[in-house]
Amino acid sequence: MARYGMALDYKNCINCKACEVACKEENGILLGADKHRIWVGVKEIEGEFPLLSIASNTFMPSQCQQCDNAPCQEVCPTHATYYDENGVVRVDPDKCILCSYCMNACPYDARYVDDRTVTVDKCNFCSDTRLARGETTTACQATCPTKVRIFGDLDDPESELSQVLREREHFTLKTHLGTEPKLFYLI
Amino acid sequence: MDLQKIIPYRKMSLKELLIPENKFMAFVAVALTALFLIGVGIYLVHGHHAYGVTRQHPWGLLIAVYIFFVVSSTGLCIVGSFGDVFGFKDYMSVSKRAIFGSIVTILAGFAVIAFEIGHPVRMMIYNVLSPGLTSAIWWMGTLYGIYLTFMIIEFIFLVRNDMKRAKVAGLIGLLVGLAAHSNLGGVFGFLNARVVANGVFYPTYFILTAFITGIYLIFLMYGYKYRGQDFPSDIAKALTNFMKIQGLLLAILMFFETWKMLTGVYGGMPERADVIMHILHTKSFWLGEVLCGMVIPFVLILATKGSAIKKMVWASFIGMIGIFYMRYDLVHDAQLFPMQTLKIREYQLPPSFVEYFPSSTEIMIGIGGVGICLILYYLGTKLFDLDTMPEHH
Ligand code: SF4
Ligand code: SF4
Ligand code: SF4
Repeated sequence: MARYGMALDYKNCINCKACEVACKEENGILLGADKHRIWVGVKEIEGEFPLLSIASNTFMPSQCQQCDNAPCQEVCPTHATYYDENGVVRVDPDKCILCSYCMNACPYDARYVDDRTVTVDKCNFCSDTRLARGETTTACQATCPTKVRIFGDLDDPESELSQVLREREHFTLKTHLGTEPKLFYLI
Repeated sequence: MDLQKIIPYRKMSLKELLIPENKFMAFVAVALTALFLIGVGIYLVHGHHAYGVTRQHPWGLLIAVYIFFVVSSTGLCIVGSFGDVFGFKDYMSVSKRAIFGSIVTILAGFAVIAFEIGHPVRMMIYNVLSPGLTSAIWWMGTLYGIYLTFMIIEFIFLVRNDMKRAKVAGLIGLLVGLAAHSNLGGVFGFLNARVVANGVFYPTYFILTAFITGIYLIFLMYGYKYRGQDFPSDIAKALTNFMKIQGLLLAILMFFETWKMLTGVYGGMPERADVIMHILHTKSFWLGEVLCGMVIPFVLILATKGSAIKKMVWASFIGMIGIFYMRYDLVHDAQLFPMQTLKIREYQLPPSFVEYFPSSTEIMIGIGGVGICLILYYLGTKLFDLDTMPEHH
């Protein structure tokens, strides 16, 4: 029993997209631009040469925010989307009717249709692959060359995640929507 | 068991049943239904890949067509209830046909949505086994199921001339239908992340436009039945009244829309003002929704002081085109703004709005739904007496 979350030291991201590849590989995500659980947002450089704003050029790695108050779970008509015992928002492919309501309700565009099961899929913190095998890291975390991600138990005060959240300022995305994301961006 | 005892229908040979009086309409209905079947065939082979829907625009034309049909159904239920539920004598003569229309339209809607929901059978199982009570889709689906049941019961009693029981079933059907329909608005209204859809607007707007749609359709049904001849006096009276009510309803709708757009644009709030401005620059809004759906019928009603019921039949046809655009636009507009904000950067205006255009398969299934509706309606007019109503007061 844990409450999993993740911190992203996003300024360290170098846009190598190793996490995108690792996620596909580990979780067997099908190929295709639309089929992704994880992505790196790129913001182009602003301004006209030579007055380019280097500060504006940022990379924002992201994935499902594992909301504590998840709109996708709230709108699901069959409880296919549920919180598992570790607070991870998961989709049960046996119950999903592919009404796509959750895809519309998620404010982060974290969901897509998985053609293997013809149901909705999204990041589940590698719950049915690595965590199920007893590992304690996620694929995207393990592969990252600049160690952007810290995955861990928010309920355990000794976890690396809890420590870093105590020590460093952080923010969550679209906080005003009340989704209570468990993905934290470190400043 | 004798079906005749449950619901009295006209006995006729299959040949009689299948020979239509209007060959043109029969052709249209069969051709559209054939399109539906072809579309369904393609869908069964290719699944959602045959549709134009994407990760960012998961709801497409078929959701719009489904809404179009259930709005029609709710509207006809409201219109039909005037007579047999509320007991207004002037409207009694149109009740039976309206209630029958509400059944065929919702059946057509269900036929279409069955090929948009990925797993409709699973839906029926898990809607019962693990109901998601916080989901507007769960409520909408469940309530519409109950609604359909009561509409059928009401219709059976109407055909049996059992007005007392029809009234009870009709009242329950109407209330459940209104709840179901506002829940359908809630499906959009509950989307906190979609600023243009979020809020009270859609649940109320759905009921208002349902009423408007119901009146358009009642004009179409009677206009078709009495094509080339005068309306009987009781029908003419009901239609004249409905035409006047329609004038009021359209005025309210225009008022609603105006304020929706004004509050949407005011202050230039990101994600809302830009989406509304985008909508205000589309032809489908101005020509489809406003001109066809509201202005043309409204001008006719005003100009003739609500008396030109023959012309109103044509205006209703145009009005229904407008109603279709309202459904299509509302589904599309809700998804216009990309939720991928993060993939660029929060609060940064995204480079473009999400685009969507229905695929040929979606179009075939969508307009094919009209064919199903026409065929069911035709069978109803053949099998049942949809006109004579007993004087019960
Ligand atoms: S980010 Fe989206 S998919 Fe993930 S839990 Fe939140 S609402 Fe659900
Ligand atoms: S698509 Fe599946 S997971 Fe999403 S709301 Fe519908 S049933 Fe639930
Ligand atoms: S935690 Fe696992 S499932 Fe989620 S994005 Fe990372 S690799 Fe993919």
